[in-house]
Amino acid sequence: MKNNILIIGGGPAGLEASAQLQRMGYNVILIERSAKLGGHLAKWDRLFPDRVPADEVLGGLLRAAEGVKCFTDTDIRAINRLEKSYNVRLTNGITVLSDAVLVASGFDLFNAVRKEEYGYGIYNQVMTNADLEAYFKTGNDKRIENPKKIGFVHCVGSRDEKSGCRSCSKVCCATAVKQAIEIKQAFPQAEVFCFYMDLRLFGRHYEDLYLEAQKEYGVRFIRGRVAEVSENYDGTLLVKAEDTVASKPLKVTLDLLVLMSGMRPSASVKELGEHLGMMVEEDGYFSVRSGISAGQRSPQPGIFLAGAATGPKTLPETLADARAAAMEIERYLTEIFPDARNYKQLVKERW
Amino acid sequence: MTPLFNLLAAQAEVPEVIDRIPSGFSYFVIPFTVGIVFFLCWIGVGCVRLLRAVPRTDRLRLWKSLFIPKTAAKNIKELFCDCLFHVKIWQRKPLLGYMHSAIAFGWFMIIILGHIEVALFVPARLNVTRGGLFYPIFYRYFVWMNPGHTTLRGAFFFFLMDFFLLYILSGIALAVFKRFRSIVLGMRHTTKPSFADRVSLYSLWMIFPLRLLAESFTADLSGGSFLTIPVNQFWHFLFGDKLWFMPCWWAYSICLGLFFAAMPFSRYMHILTEVLWILLRNAGIKPNHPRKGVAEAEIYACSSCGLCLDACPMNVQKKNLKFSSVYFIRFLRRHNEKKINAIADKCLMCDKCHALCPVGVDAPALRRAQRATVNNSLPYDYSYLGSVVSKDTVRTAKDTGAAAELRPYSAAAKRGWTRPGSDGCPEGMVSEPIQPYSSIPEVLYFAGCMTHLTPRIIKSVEKVFEAAGVEYAFADRDGGICCGRPLMLAGKTDAAAATIAVNKKMIQESGCSTLVLSCPICFKVFKEEYHLEGIKVVHYTQFINELIASGRLKVEKTDRKMVYHDPCELGRGCGVYLEPRAALSQVGTLVKASKEYDESICCGGSLGSLTLDTHDRTKISEASLDSLLVGKPETIVTACPLCLKTFSEAVSNAKYLTETVQVKDFAEVVCEH
Amino acid sequence: MVDFGFGLVPSSRINLDLFDKEKYEELAAMEPDVRICMACGSCTAVCTAGKFVPTSLREAIEAIKNANSEKALQMLESCQLCGKCSMVCPRGINTRHLILSITKVYSKK
Repeated sequence: MKNNILIIGGGPAGLEASAQLQRMGYNVILIERSAKLGGHLAKWDRLFPDRVPADEVLGGLLRAAEGVKCFTDTDIRAINRLEKSYNVRLTNGITVLSDAVLVASGFDLFNAVRKEEYGYGIYNQVMTNADLEAYFKTGNDKRIENPKKIGFVHCVGSRDEKSGCRSCSKVCCATAVKQAIEIKQAFPQAEVFCFYMDLRLFGRHYEDLYLEAQKEYGVRFIRGRVAEVSENYDGTLLVKAEDTVASKPLKVTLDLLVLMSGMRPSASVKELGEHLGMMVEEDGYFSVRSGISAGQRSPQPGIFLAGAATGPKTLPETLADARAAAMEIERYLTEIFPDARNYKQLVKERW
Repeated sequence: MTPLFNLLAAQAEVPEVIDRIPSGFSYFVIPFTVGIVFFLCWIGVGCVRLLRAVPRTDRLRLWKSLFIPKTAAKNIKELFCDCLFHVKIWQRKPLLGYMHSAIAFGWFMIIILGHIEVALFVPARLNVTRGGLFYPIFYRYFVWMNPGHTTLRGAFFFFLMDFFLLYILSGIALAVFKRFRSIVLGMRHTTKPSFADRVSLYSLWMIFPLRLLAESFTADLSGGSFLTIPVNQFWHFLFGDKLWFMPCWWAYSICLGLFFAAMPFSRYMHILTEVLWILLRNAGIKPNHPRKGVAEAEIYACSSCGLCLDACPMNVQKKNLKFSSVYFIRFLRRHNEKKINAIADKCLMCDKCHALCPVGVDAPALRRAQRATVNNSLPYDYSYLGSVVSKDTVRTAKDTGAAAELRPYSAAAKRGWTRPGSDGCPEGMVSEPIQPYSSIPEVLYFAGCMTHLTPRIIKSVEKVFEAAGVEYAFADRDGGICCGRPLMLAGKTDAAAATIAVNKKMIQESGCSTLVLSCPICFKVFKEEYHLEGIKVVHYTQFINELIASGRLKVEKTDRKMVYHDPCELGRGCGVYLEPRAALSQVGTLVKASKEYDESICCGGSLGSLTLDTHDRTKISEASLDSLLVGKPETIVTACPLCLKTFSEAVSNAKYLTETVQVKDFAEVVCEH
Repeated sequence: MVDFGFGLVPSSRINLDLFDKEKYEELAAMEPDVRICMACGSCTAVCTAGKFVPTSLREAIEAIKNANSEKALQMLESCQLCGKCSMVCPRGINTRHLILSITKVYSKK
């Protein structure tokens, strides 16, 4: 009998894991809260570091997951833990008896309105990285009309006690450099500034992206956190930061300011955590069995995790995580789960 | 035994009361006498020392104020209402007010009536040498009822004495109960008594039951009324004819003596010092040092009642109880410098303890004075302020873009900013083009440092001004100098004075007639310390309320449910409670918070505290939020940029909030309608 | 060692060997968060006094760690304690208290 596996979340992690598990022969049911599959990936234009189009990657994921039972606009109504399996009632009326559950609930973007001193939602010419990505995809945004001076603010909502998130969101620095290049490509005469605290460009080809931004596109990188933005009478923005390398406070008038909103734990974490009895750490992401050797297993037997649900990740890391989770599920369902008599013992030893 | 007092025969020449002991003395009065003499000496010396420590000008002021009718009336009113009746406590916590007033007023009446009794019945004994000191206290021991010659007047006095004794005893009963279940009387936390406090407290408790016993045991000899006579009969019933009234009188005297002897070292000094403090306060004399001079009167006026414990917003966490005003004052008395500084630096300066204090002790002001003793002598250099040129820093609403200042920076040159500007400015100058303003504005809007970090307020205020057709100038559009109050709160009074002088010059030279502030901290300092002649200083809530009331600004009312948070500096600090609410009721429906007006809880973001960390502040914000959300509003409306930021962060970061509540600024809400 | 004479002009290098650890520990006891400053520059950027005259808490902290306490005091002597830096610090440092503490500790003779 084929095992049922429930995957919560139809983003890249959920899609990749479902494709793998289906290939291994399991019966996969994927549920997605929103109306479309693909998660945040569906909203992006091009991916760093090589600026591969996002739809290509998404298309690949969707093709591989063909045949998987996907329910969009569906959430969990209730879950009961039976001896080994999970009896899940979905909001579309269907009940699934699943032997393993994979949580791939992903992340939410920080709501930049909360960082009031930057003026998102107050001044017209301030936008976020998500807005800019949408602009690159669709080509229109009324804030962008031949800007001459553009600024990028790194670490908005990350590494910031005042916004409630101490940790780094990993991907925003690379995104900022990528978007700086892209906007220079769109408006070659513009001056582009990136205001950063630290530049975290750790991956393969990321440093090359940085070099390219400086050399080919003349992006100016200023080490200093933007602390206050005000609006001039003509609608342009007056941005204040400190050039910490030169040790002097700095101000500049910009036509457009892009805020790099960071990653936050998904809003669904609270509900899911309650339904499944999962633990959440102080930073709001789910706990894993072991950060180094068992990052795809939750502390509870039968519940697995993949993707940004366990912390900020880049897209390749998410996909690798999803494949690892598929392997963990397979191991669980072949070694521990079938043995009804010694289940508890095996869980104690091997989970 | 027949109650003798029932016989009402009255014969004028036969004395009603027999002075039983010719010498007028009995050994048991010694403990009491020693105690009270010690106490009177102490308080006499203390008063003299205190008044000598007060500067001469203030002493003259005090003396004169006693004769000004208005102040004299206020003094008398406060002495009765606060010292005796504890009206302020009745208003907030009736049972507690009853308890305190029972003991205070009851005992006061018993002493007065005792003296009247002596005056009426054995006037010879009022003379101090013949026992006047202790006679009124131990009256019932020294006299006998003349059987058959009791009068209505006598019976009346006995009745009164018993009545007040019962009144006091009910207060004592409540006081004992308060030690076990203080929450019933409305106090969540009570003060931890020191050793001297305990001695005084327990002896105080014992005084009145012992008085009851003593007077009851002698009631069949020296008369009594509805309380003492039945008790007397009860004891006779229990013990027959053997009533140990000597031991009782001894015990009573010892307790009294102990109480008075311990009083100067305990919290009960307030009984007399608060009188002096009220006189000083109403004469307008304020302490400028936390310990010397007038402050000593204030410190000893504190009764350690502990009402400030529940008032302080920090005490949401028990670990912060030790920073409360009552302990601050206790450590001030003991000259414990380390603890004094730690407590002084923690305070949020929200002023709630001052508002709720039944004696009106201004502990935050004492804390500021303490901070000044440490911080005022720290080095600072405000020479750059002196070179800020006044006229050119004010711009009209019609201005565009760049700032308009040209200032020499001697201090800047000192630190290496000597590169000439690219537009040919001489060395040592930082240049920007001068653009003098064209017209004199009617209204000058000063946003203040904090408002620049909450730009919604600035945008909304400008929109309101434009909608109402107000001609205004934005004084610090490009940033300005701080108003000076944060320096005052930190105790750097000299530095604050320097800042104030510069700002004052600029504002006066701008020629405006109204100064509008959006930050309550700025509002308070501009109103009280700047002394801007001829300029009306208003907070933007007052200004906008006026605009709506006069019809210059049209708003629409919806049934949006809002709750208004009284900022500490605007409400308790300046007494502005009604105008913001009046304006908001024109725009939506106001619901009540569980603690509002002068009891509103500080948001936790105050600049007043120098050492509170973010974790503690978050707890305070959460408690304040809880109080605001009882009426289930959709929107929380604030009138202070700090409150706005603090509540926005608290609402976003709070993990337990189930419904989403918006936090909006006052001007923002008005704009939305 | 031969003293060749290159000591003509005082060195403009930062000499970390001159760092006063005792004073720094005294400061850290008063305000432990002095250790977690990441030098982002937000405080300097919003500074009210910094608009007119060089004032920077970030630079003051850096100067203390680089054994230059006079510069540190200079960088803070114009501070108006307005509190904007406290509002924006991403590490949640109580900057006003830190400024007062630095002035207290390093201005003692």
